[in-house]
Amino acid sequence: MSATVLSASGGEPTDAVRADPASKRDLWIVFWIFPIFFSLFGVIFVLLARVIPPPRPDVTTDQKVQWFAAHATTIQIGFAAVCVVFGGAAIANGYVAYQMKRMSSGSTFAYAYMGSMAVGTLPGLLLVALCFLAATFRPREPRITALLYDLGMLSFNGSLGCFATGYLAFAIAILYDKNQIFPKWLAYVSIWQIVTEVIATQMWVSSAGPYSWNGSIAFWLAVIVFGFWLNCQGIFLKFATDRQPAGTRPVD
Amino acid sequence: MTNTEPTAIASGPPASISSGRQSGVHLPGDGHMWFMVLGDLVIFGAYFIVYIVQRSMAPAAYLQAQQHLNITIGVLNTLVLVTSSWFVAQSVQATAAGQHERAIRLLYGGGACGLLFIAIKACEWSMKITQGYTTSNEFFMFYYMLTGVHVLHVALGVLILGIVVRELRNPRRQRLSVVEQGATYWHMVDLLWLVIFGLLYVVR
Repeated sequence: MSATVLSASGGEPTDAVRADPASKRDLWIVFWIFPIFFSLFGVIFVLLARVIPPPRPDVTTDQKVQWFAAHATTIQIGFAAVCVVFGGAAIANGYVAYQMKRMSSGSTFAYAYMGSMAVGTLPGLLLVALCFLAATFRPREPRITALLYDLGMLSFNGSLGCFATGYLAFAIAILYDKNQIFPKWLAYVSIWQIVTEVIATQMWVSSAGPYSWNGSIAFWLAVIVFGFWLNCQGIFLKFATDRQPAGTRPVD
Repeated sequence: MTNTEPTAIASGPPASISSGRQSGVHLPGDGHMWFMVLGDLVIFGAYFIVYIVQRSMAPAAYLQAQQHLNITIGVLNTLVLVTSSWFVAQSVQATAAGQHERAIRLLYGGGACGLLFIAIKACEWSMKITQGYTTSNEFFMFYYMLTGVHVLHVALGVLILGIVVRELRNPRRQRLSVVEQGATYWHMVDLLWLVIFGLLYVVR
C-alpha cells in the first residue's frame, strides 16, 4: 500500500497536491483504505463466504449442514480476513463523514452518517461473519448449525435499515450543501439506494420469486444500484480529496 | 387534461441533457434533476418488466387476484394526480410570467392534490389489508411494492413542492429553474402512476 500512497500523494498532477503534498498525505492514506476495503469486501462476501447472494432459505436442516461443510474452507478464510480488516469499514465511512464535514450543511449530517453506518456494520458485517465462523469452526448439532445459517442470513439482510438511515443523512447533506463537495445527483442515487435496499428486506418473508434471496427485484436490482452508488461515492470521494486545498481542515 | 402532463418532459428531450443550454435548447430545471428522473424511470422500467414477465408465467392467478382491486379508486387517484400536474404546469407558466403569488397558489393546489392522493391510497391499502389481501399473494406483493414506492415518491414530491413555495416566497430567490425542477419531478411521479394504474388496474 505504501507504493500506492507514495504515487498518489507524491506524483499526482493536481494543483492542490503540488501546492503542498505533505499536508495532504494523511488524507490520501485514509482515502485509499476506501477502495481497498470495499474491494476486499466484494471478494470475501461474493466469492469466499458466499453471502452475496445470501444463502437460500428454502432448504432443509441437513442441506444447511452440507452447505457449511462444502464451503467451510472459503468461509473460514474469508470471514477470518473480515475479522482482521473489519476496522477498514469504520475508516472508509469515517472518511466520507470527514469530507461531509467540509459541506456548508455542517457536521450534524456527517455524524448521523457515521453513526448509522457504524451501527449497520455490526449486524451487516460482524454478526454474519461470527455466525458462519461459529458454524464452521465449532460444528455442533445440525439444528444449531441451521440456526446459525438462518441467523447469519437474516442479520446480514436485516442491517439494511441502518444503512438506509445513513444514506438518507448523506442525501440530505448533499442537497443542503453549497460547497459542492459531492454532486447533487449523487443525493438522488442515494435515494434510489434507500428504496432498493428497503425492498431487499423482503428476502425475509419471500423464499422464491422476484422478492427472494436471488430475486430480480430484491437481490439483483438492489445489488446493481448499490454497486453503482458505491463506485460513484468512491470516485467523488477522490475528487473531493483532490479539490480540498492543501493545509485546510474542516471545522469540528 | 392529460395534455398538460408531459409539458416539462416534452420540452427537454434526454439528448439535450449534456448539451443543455449551449446548444440553444432550453432544459427545464437542471441536469441533476433530469438524471434523477431518467434514472428513476429506468428503475421503475425494470420493475414493470419483471412484473410483466411474472404475470405472463401465471396469468390466471394474477387475473384472479386483480379482480379484487377497485378500479374506481384507481381512476379517482388518476384524476387527482393528473389535476395536480395541471396545477404544477400552470404554476411554471405563472412563474415565467412573473405572477409569483398565483404560482404559489397553484403549487398549493398541486400539493393538496398530492396529499389527497396519499390519503386515498392509504384508505385503499387499509381496505385491502382488512380484506386479507397481503404480500403472501404475488400479485398483491407487486401491488404493495409498486404503489408503496410510488406513494413515497408522491410524498417526496409534496416536500419538493413545499421547498419551491419557500423559494418563491423570497423575492430574491424567485428563480424559474427551481419551479421547473419541481415540475419535472412532479410530472415524472404522474407519468409513473399512469403506467402503474394501467398495469395493475386496467390490463387484464
